[in-house]
Amino acid sequence: MLRSKQKAAAEAIAANVGAVAVDGRSPWRDARERFFRNKAAVLSLVILTLITLACVFGPMLLPHSYEDTDWDAMSMAPTLLNSHYFGTDELGRDLLVRCLIGGRISLMVGLMATIASVTIGIVWGATAGFLGGKVDTLMMRIVDMMYAVPYLLIAILMVTLLGREFYLVVLTITVFSWMDMARVVRGQTLSIKSKEYIEAARAIGVSTGSIIFRHVVPNLLGIVVIYTTVTVPGVILTESVLSFLGLGVQEPMTSWGVLIEDGTGVMETTPWILLFPAAMLSITLYCANYIGDGMRDALDPKDR
Amino acid sequence: MWSYAFRRVLMTIPTLLLVITVCYLMLHATPGGPFDTERKISAAVLANLQAKYHLDLPLWQQYLYYLKSLLQGDLGASFRYADWSVNDLVANALPVSLAIGGGSLLLSVFIGVGLGIIAALRQNSIIDYLVMLVGNLGSAFPSFIIGPVLIMVFAIWLKVSPAGGWNDFQISYMLLPMALLTFINVSTIGRVMRGSLIEVLNSNFIRTAKAKGLPMHTIVFRHSLKPALMPVVSVLGPLAISSITSAVVTESVFSLPGLGKLIINGASNRDYTLVLGLVVLVTVVAVVLNLLVDLAYALLDPKIRY
Amino acid sequence: MKKTMTISVLAASVALGLGVSGAAFAAKVPAGVQLAAKQELIRNNGSEAESLDPALAESVGANNIARDLFEGLTATDADGKVVPGVAESWKQTDPTTWVFKLRKNAKWSDGSSVTADDFVYGIRRFLDPKTASPYATTYGIFLINGKEAAEGKKPLTDVGVKATDKYTLEIKTPYPVAFMPELVSNTQLGPAPKQAIEKFGKDWTKPGKLVGNGAFVLKEWLVNSKLIIEKSATYWDKGNVQLTKVTYLPIEDGFADVKMFQSGENEWVYQLPPGTYAKYKAELPKDIRNAPMLGLRYYGLNAKDPMMKDIRVRKALSMVIDRDILSSKITADGQVPAYSVVVRGTAGSDVTSYDWAKWPMAQRVAEAKKLLAAAGVQPGAKIKFTYNTSEYHKKMAIFAASEWKSKLGLNTDMENMEFKVLLKKRHDGDYQIARNGWVADYNDATTFLALVQCGNDQNDNGNCNPKAEELIKQGSQSQDAAKRKQLLTQATKMIMDDYPMIPLLQYTVPRLVKSYVGGYSTKNPMDRYRNKDLYIIKH
Repeated sequence: MLRSKQKAAAEAIAANVGAVAVDGRSPWRDARERFFRNKAAVLSLVILTLITLACVFGPMLLPHSYEDTDWDAMSMAPTLLNSHYFGTDELGRDLLVRCLIGGRISLMVGLMATIASVTIGIVWGATAGFLGGKVDTLMMRIVDMMYAVPYLLIAILMVTLLGREFYLVVLTITVFSWMDMARVVRGQTLSIKSKEYIEAARAIGVSTGSIIFRHVVPNLLGIVVIYTTVTVPGVILTESVLSFLGLGVQEPMTSWGVLIEDGTGVMETTPWILLFPAAMLSITLYCANYIGDGMRDALDPKDR
Repeated sequence: MWSYAFRRVLMTIPTLLLVITVCYLMLHATPGGPFDTERKISAAVLANLQAKYHLDLPLWQQYLYYLKSLLQGDLGASFRYADWSVNDLVANALPVSLAIGGGSLLLSVFIGVGLGIIAALRQNSIIDYLVMLVGNLGSAFPSFIIGPVLIMVFAIWLKVSPAGGWNDFQISYMLLPMALLTFINVSTIGRVMRGSLIEVLNSNFIRTAKAKGLPMHTIVFRHSLKPALMPVVSVLGPLAISSITSAVVTESVFSLPGLGKLIINGASNRDYTLVLGLVVLVTVVAVVLNLLVDLAYALLDPKIRY
Repeated sequence: MKKTMTISVLAASVALGLGVSGAAFAAKVPAGVQLAAKQELIRNNGSEAESLDPALAESVGANNIARDLFEGLTATDADGKVVPGVAESWKQTDPTTWVFKLRKNAKWSDGSSVTADDFVYGIRRFLDPKTASPYATTYGIFLINGKEAAEGKKPLTDVGVKATDKYTLEIKTPYPVAFMPELVSNTQLGPAPKQAIEKFGKDWTKPGKLVGNGAFVLKEWLVNSKLIIEKSATYWDKGNVQLTKVTYLPIEDGFADVKMFQSGENEWVYQLPPGTYAKYKAELPKDIRNAPMLGLRYYGLNAKDPMMKDIRVRKALSMVIDRDILSSKITADGQVPAYSVVVRGTAGSDVTSYDWAKWPMAQRVAEAKKLLAAAGVQPGAKIKFTYNTSEYHKKMAIFAASEWKSKLGLNTDMENMEFKVLLKKRHDGDYQIARNGWVADYNDATTFLALVQCGNDQNDNGNCNPKAEELIKQGSQSQDAAKRKQLLTQATKMIMDDYPMIPLLQYTVPRLVKSYVGGYSTKNPMDRYRNKDLYIIKH
C-alpha cells in the first residue's frame, strides 16, 4: 500500500513535470480525441450548435414577429396553418419566434454569467485554498456572508440605482453564483496543495501565482467543468427571477425562463405554451451536461 | 483541529456584524418602505407607525438600537406580522426547513453517490448516459415544473399523497417536497461523484492496484471512494445552505411554512427586522455548515491540516 | 343600466337602515336543506393574516378572520346586507348623531358582557396614535375629532363616541354619514376586550389568550401554516351558527390552492389563477362561483407628466382600449368593462359612463387620432407604462400597449417592477401611466371618489377638479339621500370627463367553493363571508 502510494506519487510528479516542461505530445489533440470518444457529448455538441443557430437566424426567416398580438388566434394549439408551428401564447403571439428570441437572451446570459462566475469562483477559491491561514479565513467568511444577503434586495437596488441595462443582469447573476464554485475549488485546492508535485514545485522556487495557475488550477479542471455545467441551469433560471423584479428583459422581449414561468400557469389548459420553451431549455441543459462530462473526460490530466 | 473550529466559530461574530451592516444599509436604500401599501396611509398614521417602530430616529441610532437588542438575543418585532416577534417566526420556520432540507440532503447523498458510482464504472456506455439522463432531471427541468408534476401525479391522479400543506412533521406531507429537493440535489451530487470517481480511477495508484489484480469492488470501495468523495463534500456545503434556507419554490409549490418563503415575504414586505433576523440566521447556518465541510476534509484527507 | 339602479337604490336604503328591528337574521338554513353531521370547513384565505388585532388588521385575509372572532355594532350577511350585530337597533336621532342600542346578551368569550364602554375603549384604542392602525384616518374622518385624535392633535376623550348607559352607544359625526350602520360593521370600529389586552399586552391575540365577541374563538394559530377557529360557546346568536370548526389556510400560490382543493385538503379556493376560469367552469360547474365585487382595475394617468397633462392625450388613450375584448378574451374571467371610477353596485352614486363607450370602435379611433393630432402627438411617439409584475397585470398591459400601438401608432415602453417599488413610484408621482386598482372599504361612492379627489391620499393621479370637489362637499352635507346621490353622480361625471384615469374592469372573484358549502351568495358586493352564515350541506 505504502509502496504503491509512493510509486504513484513519483509517477504523478513525473507526469506533471513532463506535461509542464516538455510539452511533447500535443495535449489538445489528445483532449479532442478523448472528447470524441464520448458519443453523448458529440451528439450534444451538434444539437446545441443547431439550437444556437436557430435562435440566431430563425427569427429572421420566420413570417411572424415576436411582439405582434392576434386576438383571433389566442392560445392556439400548434398547427401547420398560419405557420404557427409551436402554436401561439395567451395573447396570440407566435410561440416559435418567441422561443427563439428568448433563446438568444437565455443563451447569452447563460454563457456570459457562467463564464464570469466560474472565473471569479476559480480565482477566489484557488487563492484562498492555496494561501490558507488568515487569507483563507477572510476570503471564505466573505463567501459565507454572500449566502446570507437576500438576492431580492440586491436585484431591486441594482434596478433602482443603475437602471435596466442588460449587463446588470449578468452582473447580478454573477454576484449570486460565484460562491459555490469558490467553495468547491477551495476544497480541491486544499487537497492538491499537499500533493508532492506542488511541494516539489515550491522546493524549486516557483512563484506562488505561478504555482496556483500553472499547477493547481489545471488539476482542478475536472471538477470545475462539472460544476460549471451545474451552474448553467441556475444562471438561466435566475434571469427570469430578475425579470420578475424588473431587471432584465421587459415585455414584449422575452427569455426561456420568462416563457416557462408564463407557461406553468396554464400548463393544464394549454400545455404547449409550457412544453416548447421547457423542452428547448431542457435539451440545452442536457446537452450542456453531456458536453461538460465529455470535456471533463477530455481534460482529465491523469487520463493519458 | 478543535482550536481551529473554535477560532472559526469566533469568526462568526465579525462576519455577522459585517453582513448585518451591509444588509441594514441595503434595506434602507431599497425603494418602498414597510408601510407603503396599496391604500396609502395618511401622513399622520405614517408618523404613528414610524414612532412605534423607532423609524423616526436617525438611521445610526436605529442601527445601534437593533444591535443592542440583538445582543440580548432579541431579533425585534416583525413589521408585517404585528402579532409575532421575529424570534417566533424564525423558531416556527426553522424546524420545517431543517426537516425537509436535511432529510432530502441525506437521501440525495445516498442516491447521488450511488448513481455517480454506477455511471463512473460504466463510463461512456449506454448505462452511463441513461443514469445521467435520470440523475440530471433535477437540473434540466426547473423545480417549478417538477413540483407541479409531482403534485399532479401523486396527489391528484394516484391520490397517495396530500397536495401540499404542513401537518406537524407528519411524514406524508414531507415526502413530495423532499422528493423535489432530492431531484435537484441528486443532479449535482451525482455528476460531481461521477466525474471525481473517474478521475480517481484513472489515477496512477489505482492503476497500480488494478495491475496488481485487486478485485474491482475492493478498488472502488476501499481505495477510490474516500478521495473521490472530497469534491462531493465540497458541494454539500452550498447544497445544504440552499436546501435549508432558500427552498423558495419548493415551499411555495407545497405551501410549506419554511424559511425560504419567510425570506421572500420579508423582503417583498420590506419587513426590515424579519429580513435582518433571517440574514443573521442564514449567516450562522452558512458558517456552521461550511465549518462542518472543512472538518470533513480533514477526515477524508489526513494531509489537510488547518 | 336599469338593473344597476335597482341594486344601488336597494343598497342605499339598506345603508340608511332607519329603525331596523332587532331580530336575528343570519345563518338561517333554508327549509329542505339537510345538514351534514360534520360541520367543518377548510378555507384558504390567500395570505397569512398580519394580525388578529382588529385595530391592526389591514389585509382582506386578516379582516376575514377578524369578522369571525369579533363582532361590531352591525354586521353584513352573505348578501352584503347590513344586519344587527352587538347592536339590536339603531337610530339617526339628528343629522350627525347615531344612537345604537346594544343587546344585553352579547358576551365576550371569557363570559363577561359586551358593553357600550367596550366600544368606547375599542374605538379610542383604534384611533390612538400609539396603536398606529393603518385605518385610523380612513375611518376616523367619520367621527367627530376622530381624524384629529388619530393625528395626536386632540385627546382621545374628545372623539365623538359616548356610552350614554351600559347598553347605549352614541356616535357623533362631523357631517351626516348616511352609511354609518354599514361602516360600523367593520371590526376596527368594534369593541375591544380591555381585560385581555391589559392582562397580556402585545401577546393578547395568541391562542389561549385572545378574548373575542364573535361567533368563533381562536383555537390554534401556526403561522404560515394554518389557523383554526371553533364555534364560540358564549356568542349571543350561537343557535344560528352551524359550523363547529373552520381552518383558515394562508396559501398564496394559486396552483397549490387549486390542487389542494382538488385533492380535498381545501374546500375554498381564495382566487383562481389567471387563465384558468374557463377550464374550471367546464370541469367543476357545481363548485365554481364568480361574482362581481366593489373593486376597480384602472390605469392612472399622471396629471403632472408633460405629455399626460394634456386632456386630449388622456382621452385618446382611454377611448381606444376595447374593454369588451379585454373582458371577454384577455382576462376571460367574468370581469365587467368599466368606464367610471364608481363601479356597479356601489351605493351613493350612479355609475357614469362615456358617450363614446357605445360608439363603434372605428369612430372611437378616428376621434382619438384627431385628439392626438390636435395635441401635437405624432404616431411613433413613446409612452411609458409602469406596472408591478404579475401574470394578470402583464396580460392586460400587453393588451393595452397593443391597442395603443395598432390604433394610434404609439410605442409603449413597458416597465415592470416589484410591487413596493411601484407603490413608491405611484405615491411619488414618478410615472407616466401606471397600473392601479382599488377595492371598496365600505359600500359608498366616496370610497371610490377618494381615488380622484383633490389632494386625497389615495389620489396618485394628481388631478383636481375644484367644482366637482364643491359638489361632493355639498353632497356630504346633505341629509337627503336622493339629493346626495344626485350630487355625487354629477361630481363623478365631471371628474371622469377630465380623464384622470383609464377605468378598465370591475373586479370579480372567480373561485372554487365545494358545492356542499351552503350560505355562499354571489350577491355579496364586498366579498365578505362570515363563517357564521355558512353551513355544510349533507353530501
